[in-house]
Amino acid sequence: MASPLHDRLNRDLSTGTSWLVVLAVIARSDEPIHGYEIARQLADEAPDGMSFKQGTLYPMLRSMETDGLVRSTLVPSTEGPARKCFTLTAEGRRVLASWAESWRASSRWVNRVLGETDARR
Amino acid sequence: MHDADQVPSPPSIEGYLARLEVALHGADPALAHDALIDAEEHLQAAVRRGVPVDQAIAEFGEVDEIAAAYRGLPADPAGKPQETSHRAVDPPRIDGSPRGAPSAVLATPVQAPAPRLRDVPIVGIWFDSRAWGALLYFGGVGFIVATACFIWAVTLGGLAVGLLPTLLGLPVLVLLLGSARALCLVEGAVVQALLGVRMPRRVQPVHGVADVGFWQRIWCWLKDVRSWLSLGYLYANFPVSVALFVVTITMSALSVAMITGPLLQAANLPFVTLSSDVDRVQYLWTELKPAADGTIRLPMSLALSSVGLGLVLATITLWTMRGLGWVYGHVVQAIQVARPQASLPHR
Repeated sequence: MASPLHDRLNRDLSTGTSWLVVLAVIARSDEPIHGYEIARQLADEAPDGMSFKQGTLYPMLRSMETDGLVRSTLVPSTEGPARKCFTLTAEGRRVLASWAESWRASSRWVNRVLGETDARR
Repeated sequence: MHDADQVPSPPSIEGYLARLEVALHGADPALAHDALIDAEEHLQAAVRRGVPVDQAIAEFGEVDEIAAAYRGLPADPAGKPQETSHRAVDPPRIDGSPRGAPSAVLATPVQAPAPRLRDVPIVGIWFDSRAWGALLYFGGVGFIVATACFIWAVTLGGLAVGLLPTLLGLPVLVLLLGSARALCLVEGAVVQALLGVRMPRRVQPVHGVADVGFWQRIWCWLKDVRSWLSLGYLYANFPVSVALFVVTITMSALSVAMITGPLLQAANLPFVTLSSDVDRVQYLWTELKPAADGTIRLPMSLALSSVGLGLVLATITLWTMRGLGWVYGHVVQAIQVARPQASLPHR
């Protein structure tokens, strides 16, 4: 069973990386993508303990739209109401590239420190 | 007490939306509308893909958690969050990086946001786009739109009532209701653009859906209380717009005249030219005597006072417009932004 401290790390990681992974999922989609599809892909690919409440995705998407990172369009659906789907803006792509580089640098740094820690054991 | 009061009912999308609406009580109506639309769309999408309702709701999140996430959003795009205590998805960054960015391990110095001119006390209103937007709305755009909508609604309404004894009145009534909904959408867009109050509305029935036919669409219009509210709005908005137009034009014209009059005089242009039968005129606290050609020249002290008072009055006008815009926008929002209704039955 995971300890509270383990949960805390997962929670902090989930919070800190949420915008990054959401932007990445939108970026890799060839066509405008609906919030449910984003949530489903994130849930399918999330590691154990990194789950998130899918409903918090939508205010995040609205914040992203306000910040000019994503653009929403209403796409007619044969299954129900027209659905709000999202694409990345040019600014969103630029921010995603910048954040991804930050993440990779952070990841390399953490891995290097962890590697040194493992070597001393 | 009935048994139904003791046995919890199975989870349903409608029940979840009702609880979410309660959790968002007191929030900005546009925000609550967004939250309910998002939740409904998501849960219906999940159910259509075969996810059991209870699982879909559990994965979506507890209503309090979701409501807190929405309350963390700005009430308007340029505004501040409704509450800042719960930013479930958007925590404050310790390194000054954009919201939601991965935490930078090597922290950079925090940069304070640049001060904005509109945040300067009192005179900052001169740099507030909302105040100028409200001035434009009340002093012209809103009045024109309201008048046009009123003429349309009165003409079509009169025709519908007159023809009601014959069946020809019914299609005219349907046309009136449909056009009222469309006109309110346009009016809402203008309010949103100029007054900055968000007006999210779901267009119902949804176009492009095969199983929503023409008659079903008409029936939706007739039974939707928002159709009748929209129609009532078109009638009631006209006198309100006229009153606001009069207030706006009076205050604006007075301030502009007080400021520009002395400036015109400085450019050797007459401040005011009176007819020959007027021998005295009162301006502010000074009685002035026109020249032989009927022109009036202000003494320097009075000219400076006029410009100063004009600037004060213009500042008051802008604050008044800002306040009226806020009140008017939120009244329109309360009328036009209603709780979204489930648009299609669940399959």
